[in-house]
Amino acid sequence: MISKRVLFAALLLLCSSLLSSAANVQAAGWGSIKGRFVYDGAPPKAGPIAVNKDREFCGKFNLRDESLVVNPENRGVANVIVYLYLGRRDTPPTPHPSYEKTADAEVMFSNDKCRFSPRVALLRTTQTLKIANADTVGHNTKIDCFSNAPINPIIPAGSDIEQQFSAQERLPTRVSCSIHPWMTGWLVVKNNPYFAVTDENGAFEIKNLPAGKWTLQVWQEKSGYVKEVKKGGKATKWKKGRFKITVKDGQTENMGDLLVSPKLFKDR
Amino acid sequence: MGRAWAAAVGVCLLLQAGCNSPEAAFHFNAVYAHKQSGVTKSQAKNVKEILIAQFGTPDEPAIPALPDMDVSSVISLDRLKMSAGPVERTDDTAPRRGLYREHCAHCHGVTGDGRGPTARFLNPYPRDYRRGTSKFKSTPVGGRPTHADLKRILVDGIPGTAMPSFKLLAADELESLIQYVKYLAIRGEVERSYILEIDAELEEEDLLLNVPGEDAEQVADQVEVIQDITSMVLSRWANAAGQATEVPSHPVDDDKLASITRGRELFFGTTANCVKCHGDTALGDGQTTDYDEWTKEIDPTKPHLAAEYVALGAFTPRNIRPRNLRQGVYRGGRRPVDIYWRIKNGIEGTPMPAAPATLRSDDIWHLVDYVRSLPYEALSEGRTKGREFQRERN
Repeated sequence: MISKRVLFAALLLLCSSLLSSAANVQAAGWGSIKGRFVYDGAPPKAGPIAVNKDREFCGKFNLRDESLVVNPENRGVANVIVYLYLGRRDTPPTPHPSYEKTADAEVMFSNDKCRFSPRVALLRTTQTLKIANADTVGHNTKIDCFSNAPINPIIPAGSDIEQQFSAQERLPTRVSCSIHPWMTGWLVVKNNPYFAVTDENGAFEIKNLPAGKWTLQVWQEKSGYVKEVKKGGKATKWKKGRFKITVKDGQTENMGDLLVSPKLFKDR
Repeated sequence: MGRAWAAAVGVCLLLQAGCNSPEAAFHFNAVYAHKQSGVTKSQAKNVKEILIAQFGTPDEPAIPALPDMDVSSVISLDRLKMSAGPVERTDDTAPRRGLYREHCAHCHGVTGDGRGPTARFLNPYPRDYRRGTSKFKSTPVGGRPTHADLKRILVDGIPGTAMPSFKLLAADELESLIQYVKYLAIRGEVERSYILEIDAELEEEDLLLNVPGEDAEQVADQVEVIQDITSMVLSRWANAAGQATEVPSHPVDDDKLASITRGRELFFGTTANCVKCHGDTALGDGQTTDYDEWTKEIDPTKPHLAAEYVALGAFTPRNIRPRNLRQGVYRGGRRPVDIYWRIKNGIEGTPMPAAPATLRSDDIWHLVDYVRSLPYEALSEGRTKGREFQRERN
């Protein structure tokens, strides 16, 4: 029943001598990377949300489904998350000095007009998440973390709380409100500042990466890992949403328009 | 004659099946693997094999070995043995075995996945231990239940559900079952973490643990991943005892009515906001469309997706209901301290949030007093009288 190799593994588990970590090679200098995610089809129209709680307040805001936000003018896809992918053995790069002043900053995440603002919050493990409720109705903010302890505090109207997340999360973590079930947000927690989320035009930029070879990973809430893009008419597969880049000192690598197929986005 | 013949054949077949019935095995968490869509068949087999090497089988349990942790301080193999294995009652002098299968498996399943043969007929469904999540405990959200928390549930049962009390079991039997439930929960959590690791890190053709001899460095890396995950899960259980939320004493106050009145104000106010889910009349009808975390795993709001999971063995999703506070039935225990913990910490795995920090312990005690007074209000005891009690439903 138990194969030989697993028995061997069980033995290894008992007495493994671990090998030292490979050094992380970093060239001198700093460079940036930018690009834009573009919907390769007619922009979908976001459906209205059936507001069934606190109608008199939340019903005023013409709430829309924001799980896929495509700009009707330039087809840019908002809320695509791009971050530095590090293997188990890789130590995170020492951040560029420009990131020092935000290392222990507060990152705002607000319950605002019965939706989360921003939809995607980017947080470093050294920073503090400030969860606020700007509304006149009560909310609760349920964050189902994996590496950190999950939380689900009530945020009374007009108040806020501060929360730390000391471990990085491998995947963006869903944030929800139990009182208003349509409310969805995402929290990204990393131990380095090299992440970005696309704006309303689909554009992202990660500034001042150490020069050298890096792997980035791309994720969106409806597609999961963005596994394929089209660039200059040519389709490229990104396994697990990962692609490699070379950052050169003093330069900004512009990836241009990255076309994403409507087929990538589905209910998951 | 023909009938008797058929019956005889049937009995033979049954006997044969009995003699050759396969050894009990833990089921793979196919539902979670389906959610993390990137797990191949050979990777699933790989996970099963690693789990057998670490945790053994339902008949022969094992506890994982870790280089820098004494696992027996969390689960002891000696204790597990009384609960593991098939039910054996042949000899009164022999050590008892099979307690879990005798008392628990018909609802919670041999794997602890909450899918025993009777499970689908119950409402609520029996607990699936494999997330490591417990609702009724003294620790905050994210903390594992303490040993005492689990014991309380075994001894008292869970009122309002099919979970009975096991007060009549001997002390060593209870102890063994508590440890066995922890063992199944830890095994289940480790399994989930492996599935997540594979989905996030591995290419389709790679395994969590490769054939040895191919690349010693790679295998050492993989062993480290397995050890890290196992030790992370185990340490959560090891730390639980120190995490129990302290309960300051009740504000001694002769005027109980004043405390109830204050609790009522908080219940309907926007700080505690209980009314939003438990409803204007506390019948638990304020928010009836949500689901618990076990159910959310299968995308209950999208029927075509939920069907995929049901085909893999998940049960038909049901909404979670906020508790009807007028019945006086408290699943996590009826002592004031139990209700204090529920309000202070929230209920993990459910939409019930934790009280905001601005609510002081006295406020929480006022809420406890109000909640405990609700079953005795006139409204709780009879039919509604008329318009006066009509409320908005969603």
